[in-house]
Amino acid sequence: MTALVLLPSDEVPQDHLPTNNSNPLRLGPGLRILSQPSSNGSNHVLTATQAGLLTTDAKRNTVSLLSFPNRRYIPTVNDFVIAQIHHSSVDFFHCMVTPHTAHALLGQLSFEGASKKTRPMLKQGELVYARVQSVGLGAGAEVELTCVNPATGKADGGLGPLTGGMVFDVSTGMAARLIRASSTSAENTDAIEGLAVLSELGKKLESLGGFEIAVGRNGKVWVDCSIAAESAVKVTVAIGRCLQETDQQNLHTHDQKKLVMKILRDMKLVS
Amino acid sequence: MASSTTASNLTPPSLSLPPSQFARLQPHAYLLAHLSPPPASNQPSIRANGRAASQFRVTSANAGSLTHTNGSAVVRIGDTAAVCGVRAEILHTKDIASWSVLQASSEHNLDNSNYAGVSESQDEEDRGHIQDLNLLVPNLSLSTGCAPGFTPGAPPSALAQSLSHQLLSLLHTTRLVRAEDLRIWYQPPNLESEEFGNAGEGMDVDTEESGGPEREIKAFWVLYIDVMIISLAGNPFDAAWASVLAALRDTKLPRAWWDADNETVLCSDDVADARKLSLRGLPVASSFCSFEGDAAAGWRAVVIPSAEEQKQKKSAQRRWILADPDGYEEGLSQERASVVVDKENGKTVIVKMEKHGGWTVDSDDLRQLVDVSAQRWDEMKRILDQC
Amino acid sequence: MVGPIASLSQLHRSDGSASYKCPATGYSILGAVNGPIELPARRDALKPEEATVEVFVKPGTTTGGVGERYIEGILRSVLGKIVLGREKGFPRRGVVITLAIVGGENVARGDNYLTILPALLHTGLLAMISASVPLSMTFSATLLGVTEDGDIVRDPSPTAAKAAVSLHVFAFSSKNHLLLNESEGRFGFDTWEYVRERALSICQGETTASADGDVAMGEGTASASVSGFIRETVEDQIYSDYAYKLDSI
Repeated sequence: MTALVLLPSDEVPQDHLPTNNSNPLRLGPGLRILSQPSSNGSNHVLTATQAGLLTTDAKRNTVSLLSFPNRRYIPTVNDFVIAQIHHSSVDFFHCMVTPHTAHALLGQLSFEGASKKTRPMLKQGELVYARVQSVGLGAGAEVELTCVNPATGKADGGLGPLTGGMVFDVSTGMAARLIRASSTSAENTDAIEGLAVLSELGKKLESLGGFEIAVGRNGKVWVDCSIAAESAVKVTVAIGRCLQETDQQNLHTHDQKKLVMKILRDMKLVS
Repeated sequence: MASSTTASNLTPPSLSLPPSQFARLQPHAYLLAHLSPPPASNQPSIRANGRAASQFRVTSANAGSLTHTNGSAVVRIGDTAAVCGVRAEILHTKDIASWSVLQASSEHNLDNSNYAGVSESQDEEDRGHIQDLNLLVPNLSLSTGCAPGFTPGAPPSALAQSLSHQLLSLLHTTRLVRAEDLRIWYQPPNLESEEFGNAGEGMDVDTEESGGPEREIKAFWVLYIDVMIISLAGNPFDAAWASVLAALRDTKLPRAWWDADNETVLCSDDVADARKLSLRGLPVASSFCSFEGDAAAGWRAVVIPSAEEQKQKKSAQRRWILADPDGYEEGLSQERASVVVDKENGKTVIVKMEKHGGWTVDSDDLRQLVDVSAQRWDEMKRILDQC
Repeated sequence: MVGPIASLSQLHRSDGSASYKCPATGYSILGAVNGPIELPARRDALKPEEATVEVFVKPGTTTGGVGERYIEGILRSVLGKIVLGREKGFPRRGVVITLAIVGGENVARGDNYLTILPALLHTGLLAMISASVPLSMTFSATLLGVTEDGDIVRDPSPTAAKAAVSLHVFAFSSKNHLLLNESEGRFGFDTWEYVRERALSICQGETTASADGDVAMGEGTASASVSGFIRETVEDQIYSDYAYKLDSI
């Protein structure tokens, strides 16, 4: 199947849709269904609202449009984001998820095991790894975040305040790639989603004790490697630079490996 | 009266809502109900303000009411009223920094005029002087209280600024004002001439003696054209342009000459000496808006028919092109069209045509709009000639 | 004739950006789009259920004046019409489009902005596509001048535009609707219609849109059209952004 790029108002050709009919077809962002009034009832056509690469997943019966990686993040339920506390009020922490948008709300008690007494006292500027709980409906709706899985009451997947470390800005497309790469099982190693940078860094930095990373859909990557003691800051910055340059220059896997070597050498982390 | 009866027919009898409230609560449905009355009611399709779709509001014009200006006019189109005053000021060429450069290039043009058609190069030069030296300075202000929402002390709104620009741009493209009318010449006395005696007052522009020293431009009249919309009820551009047109037709410039001894420009205070501007043509602006019957047309999840399909299904499509929209109608439509026409020997010439904000108006409609505008031209000419 | 040059997503800090250069007219525009963002003091916008589109035009060497306000109004009405302002995350927020004129002759005071309008429209559209603002359709625009001899000149330079009897800017949607027309000068309606036909063929190529709305790309002229150019620009950027994915296919 050839790659198909759609522009707004282009229709999705029928033969590009997954043929598995057992599940209902799920639409990703950038696509909408329109009805075409005709003499015999109405037909439905799928059209693009953004420009992007059409991708389908036959297993999950989804069709979506991969748009430009530099786009702005629009909160979607169940996304993992890295939010920064702006200020707190009686019931909520007001967090910044994307610049120039209204603050997202994070309940003071939406943390694992939080009660009036034990809730975390987050100050301005601190970071949390949170999940989008609801985005509300209609105009002026507020985005709500949570740091617990409402079903289990546990902080699954590392939700909660992020202490130490440092946050780096990457494009939303890069963030999505990192998340997809980490969710795909790491058996076939090397390049998942065309990303070799993380596995390469992991290999090189193993001797220093490795590092921790959290990726927010809103284009933020939090990196921490306090284990590495005195060179912690250096390692963190090196990882951040590797990710940002891979993102901005849209590097191929072999270039990513070269970049990792170059940066680590520059910062005298490996010989 | 027709308007109120239709509206009350449509409101359910249990809810006795006066038409004025219906108009405020459901403006789109209100206008739609007027334009497409139920077939049973035998009502004609009419706008909520009682006009037919291509009917303009009652227009009146009155020129020369402001005595301290060189020319002025008040134009009223329905409830939209514009006052325009033209004030002329003298700009010495010695105050123009780039004058010597311009002079050289325009002389070059004049040389060419011997070969090419004289009138054309005249046009070019007109454009050069008026445009390069900013001899026409229109400004439009939407005064406080002309419509709700205009607060005192606010900076000029984007609407006022863009209207100012439209006026200026139209003055330039139509070349309405002739640069010759704005020039103040100096004819140096021909010292070799025998009849030197009468040269004391010989600055008269008309005396052009062959062989004498070349006459030169010493100053220009700059026309400050200030328009004030004192009441805004939709379609400000047509009213503003009509007022500019009427005011310029009314404008009289005093006779001015260069006094070589005092090195200054003197003006005559004799009214009989003052002369009117000789304008090129009479471009008349007509604005329209397109009202879509389907309020949700912009975001309904249906496939937008392509232009060809739209043409075929024209009859089924519900939209009306309304001439001279009032404020209420303007708020209900996004698509605007504006046509400026002039007539030369009975033949219609389009001076400016624009449409944007939608995709329902195309060639066929625009052709009709040009015809409507041509009719409007006759009407406006009559009104402006009378004022 | 040298076609325009455009590229997408050149600015890293804005949500979407595009640069556009038209060698024929000499204009070069850089556009940035941010959206959806919170507009200060616009919480009670006129239409709370939709996104507000704001356009700012920055001239290259002077401060903005009344001419910019006018052209911003036109751009807002055209670009705002094609934005799907009710998609998720957009209602009550704003889409801010900033277009900076970085090259080309200055537009003088009171001058018509027609010569630069197609470049501004294309930059705005490409920047919005780059920011993944949901759109109902795309469009393509062109500038045509009619000379004294009645010839039609495509993309006249500012000097040629001054000499032209009439100047016309047309923008056609991807489904051949007339989205925008700005005409100035002295002309009759028949001339206008003739110019319109010419503009349509320049914008959409000589192809006739087939019934399903899909422009047939088979004919050689399709890629030479303005809409073909827009499509190629976007495709090139997508292909380079997703090179890693396409390699594996």
